[in-house]
Amino acid sequence: MRRKIILALGAVALPLLLRNLYVIMFLVPDEMEQGPIYRIFYYHLPAFFTAALCYLTAMVTSILYLVKKDQKYDAIAVSATETGLAFAAVNLITGMIWGRISWGIWWAWDPRLTWALICWLVYFGYLMLRSAIDDPTERAKNSAVLSIFASASVAVTWKAIEWWRTQHPGPVLSIRTGGVQKIDPAMEQMLYVNTVALLLLGLIFVLVRLRQEEVQREIDALRRYAHAMN
Amino acid sequence: MTMLRHAAAIASKDLRSEFRTKESINSTLSFSVVILLLFAFAFDPSPDMIVEFGGGLLWIVFVFAGALIVNRAFARELPNDCIDVLVSSPASGASLFLGKATAAFVLLFGIECICLPVFGILYNVTWWRNLSGLLGILALGTWAMACVGVFISALTVNLRLREVMLPMLVYPVLIPAILPAMMLTNTLLTGQPIPSDFMVWLRLLIGFNVMFTTLSVYLAETVLVR
Amino acid sequence: MDERNITFMFYGLAVAWGLLAVYAVLLGLRDRDLTKQLDTLKRMVEEKK
Repeated sequence: MRRKIILALGAVALPLLLRNLYVIMFLVPDEMEQGPIYRIFYYHLPAFFTAALCYLTAMVTSILYLVKKDQKYDAIAVSATETGLAFAAVNLITGMIWGRISWGIWWAWDPRLTWALICWLVYFGYLMLRSAIDDPTERAKNSAVLSIFASASVAVTWKAIEWWRTQHPGPVLSIRTGGVQKIDPAMEQMLYVNTVALLLLGLIFVLVRLRQEEVQREIDALRRYAHAMN
Repeated sequence: MTMLRHAAAIASKDLRSEFRTKESINSTLSFSVVILLLFAFAFDPSPDMIVEFGGGLLWIVFVFAGALIVNRAFARELPNDCIDVLVSSPASGASLFLGKATAAFVLLFGIECICLPVFGILYNVTWWRNLSGLLGILALGTWAMACVGVFISALTVNLRLREVMLPMLVYPVLIPAILPAMMLTNTLLTGQPIPSDFMVWLRLLIGFNVMFTTLSVYLAETVLVR
Repeated sequence: MDERNITFMFYGLAVAWGLLAVYAVLLGLRDRDLTKQLDTLKRMVEEKK
């Protein structure tokens, strides 16, 4: 059943991604000041949305795990964190490539960039901690606690670095600017369409990863069983 | 009330055993002085430069020292399975955590107070011009370090790679506390009172402490009791 | 508009697709590995019975 859902989602997501790539490369107009480079933005921002949603899911399921002590939530938390890291990497690296052209430098110690990097490091630490603990219950509990700690810190860091300095372009989407149209409506619409595509892809990754966690648990159980038979 | 009494008992036990063996005090102190020395070689700072990055330098030394200290907080209890005895004692997880964090705080703060004059001599800085403010900021930053560090060291205590794992997990989480501590220490080293536009940093530091102390005390029971 | 602008656009799009593809391939590899482990274990348990 799960397998069929994943395949169905894939059948929707892949054509959508390819179609979006075609539209982004050939159909949308160039931005006046930046030229073609701005097209990176169609992946940069949706990747951020996906990553942020993944981090949020990880936080919620970590809290749920501590409340309910159900391994299911732990599995969702790790799947979401890992997928979030993949999309955050897309967000970071496309941003760096854009910065090389627009700012002339690969990296600026700007709040959003710094924050994204810190997030990446924090959640990478979460995966490292997981891989170091063998006992499943202990691993689930300790990493859930770390995940809650991490998300609290990440939330505060956001504020901290905003006061520190700002260089990154501000919000352009009309939902963030209070209805003021800062970019061409065709561009904004395309951005939402690609966000949907990347979110679908993210969902597929999470579901596949989730199944792997379940298979892993089955393997562990079989190992114990085989061991007990000896 | 009982919780605080238990915490005080655990803190004094930790401090007593530390002062008898002096294992982490000695190593951490000499480590901090060595780093202060190495930074002087690396930057060869002039007096103007040291005003600009003195606070940052001090806090880098302190977080290195902090990683060594908090690493010992629970690792100290590993031989003879002392940790199991502590967990099964009447003291709750929260008071166990608070006691350990207080002990780490006292040790770290002591080491910082020794590092300050050494820093002053090596880099030719008159650091005592706003002493009360400076000590206040040191205390706030050190509590953030002790609290987060001891809590995460409870998560990593059973790992083989805990010496590497601990700083890797603690430092990124600690950034919103260390950043304001560095900024505030920088201005306080010049002897001026905290300027009004820096008050937001002070609030951030205090807020971080309140938030993470609450969170750790609340979650300590879950982590420690298996 | 200089030439690097459009070159870097291609780099950016390639990185976005490339990274996600790499992650998908890694997932696939892990999937295969896990399935293999599971099959071996199942066969082992069957034989012992």
